[in-house]
Amino acid sequence: MAKRIEAVDLDAYYGGFRAIEGVTLTIEPKSITALIGPSGCGKSTFLRTINRMHEVLPGARVTGQLLLDDEDVYGPGVDPVGVRRAIGMVFQRPNPFPTMSIYDNVVAGLRLNGVKKKGDLDDAAEQSLRSANLWNEVKDRLGKPGAGLSGGQQQRLCIARAVAVEPQVLLMDEPCSALDPISTLAIEDLMTELKDRYTIIIVTHNMQQAARVSDRTGFFTIDGPGTPGRLVEIDETPKIFSNPSEKRTEDYITGRFG
Amino acid sequence: MRDTYHDQLDAIVQDLFQMSQLVARGVTQATAALTRADLALAEQVIEGDDAINALYRGVETQAFDLLARQQPVAGDLRVLVTSLRIVVDLERAGDYVVHLAKIARRRHPASAVPDALRGTVLEMGQTAQQILDKTGTVIATRDLELAAELEVDDDAMDALQKRLFTLVLQDGGQDIEAAIDATLAGRYYERLADHAVAVGHRVTYMVTGEHAEV
Ligand SMILES: Nc1ncnc2c1ncn2[C@@H]1O[C@H](COP(=O)(O)OP(=O)(O)OP(=O)(O)O)[C@@H](O)[C@H]1O
Ligand SMILES: [Mg+2]
Repeated sequence: MAKRIEAVDLDAYYGGFRAIEGVTLTIEPKSITALIGPSGCGKSTFLRTINRMHEVLPGARVTGQLLLDDEDVYGPGVDPVGVRRAIGMVFQRPNPFPTMSIYDNVVAGLRLNGVKKKGDLDDAAEQSLRSANLWNEVKDRLGKPGAGLSGGQQQRLCIARAVAVEPQVLLMDEPCSALDPISTLAIEDLMTELKDRYTIIIVTHNMQQAARVSDRTGFFTIDGPGTPGRLVEIDETPKIFSNPSEKRTEDYITGRFG
Repeated sequence: MRDTYHDQLDAIVQDLFQMSQLVARGVTQATAALTRADLALAEQVIEGDDAINALYRGVETQAFDLLARQQPVAGDLRVLVTSLRIVVDLERAGDYVVHLAKIARRRHPASAVPDALRGTVLEMGQTAQQILDKTGTVIATRDLELAAELEVDDDAMDALQKRLFTLVLQDGGQDIEAAIDATLAGRYYERLADHAVAVGHRVTYMVTGEHAEV
């Protein structure tokens, strides 16, 4: 079920370069948190520290604590693969497995987890595609390749794939940046539905999107090239967009940045 | 892109300032027209309302345009939403100035203000003008201390209105029409000051994001 996320004084490095520094925040379960900030401030890096995808790169490491319901994701003996399974991720560019059918794309994670019964897989596929608002569009062509869908449909397919394994947390890195306004709104509606069951974090450059969908918004920034990204402020979304506490947040969201 | 947008926001505030100045000048002229039975001046004030209304529509159009196209947030959003309300207060204040001038016009060639009341009406006119000047400064400078002063100035106006009523009653109802006009004029000055206080509250909200204690 949806879990609470807590970062405590988290730093992330690419080799000798510290990309984010001192991130401390709490994200409540069953909520949507938007992360905004200028390019290169470490939003994607922070997202990847949550499901231990960051350390996949050679030389990349993380210090500090990241707690999922009080359990340290970086604690000794924690299996990173288990963490990644519990935390779904959707990327900027839709990335369905190109040769796999729509159906196989959705149930790929479940098969990996050892689910074999056709009935269980069928049920999960339908349920996930319905969750992703895609079922009606694809129910008659489940055997066709996922790559044959439109960009917006592919993105919803990736969301269906992510939710099929019932993750506790859903991370979305600019999930709508390649989508038209209708698909974007469909995915935003979907996020709102999904938040009853998941903890959702979305990175977005679209400030209106952050304002529309999220309960809380966090603003990251960098002081200059080569300096680490920091979390400036995180607060209720209406507060951030009507009266942020930090001047740097205000300058960024009103376009007075830089 | 954003520079133009921020210039447009500044222009809206500039228009509000100009409106407050027009209303301030109008109330001075209307008071003179009332106390001196000056018909030409009264007409001038009444016609002057067109300029205030034009600014009102201009601010409204500009604000809608920016809301629709720029998705303003945070301080910018507060400036716009607050401006849409301030502009209504100033437009209403302008209407009260017109009401004052219309009393002068209706009673011409007689004076609408009996001798016994002239001093008090002049004082109310002066107080109103000072309040409106201060309101303009508050709009232009966002000086919150000055905004808070408007409350005190409004108390002075309320006291003047009370004094005016007392004088009207002392007159013993000799001239009913004059009594009604003086009562109405007192009410218009008082309402005008109320709108100025409201503008002060709105500017306070615009700056702080917190509602002023009322
Ligand atoms: N694989 C990598 N190797 C080395 N440095 C990296 C790597 N990925 C990111 N960085 C650096 O880390 C910093 C943060 O990058 P990150 O991608 O997290 O920023 P971001 O906020 O997601 O930016 P954007 O909005 O452009 O996606 C940047 O300086 C970036 O150059
Ligand atoms: Mg990124």
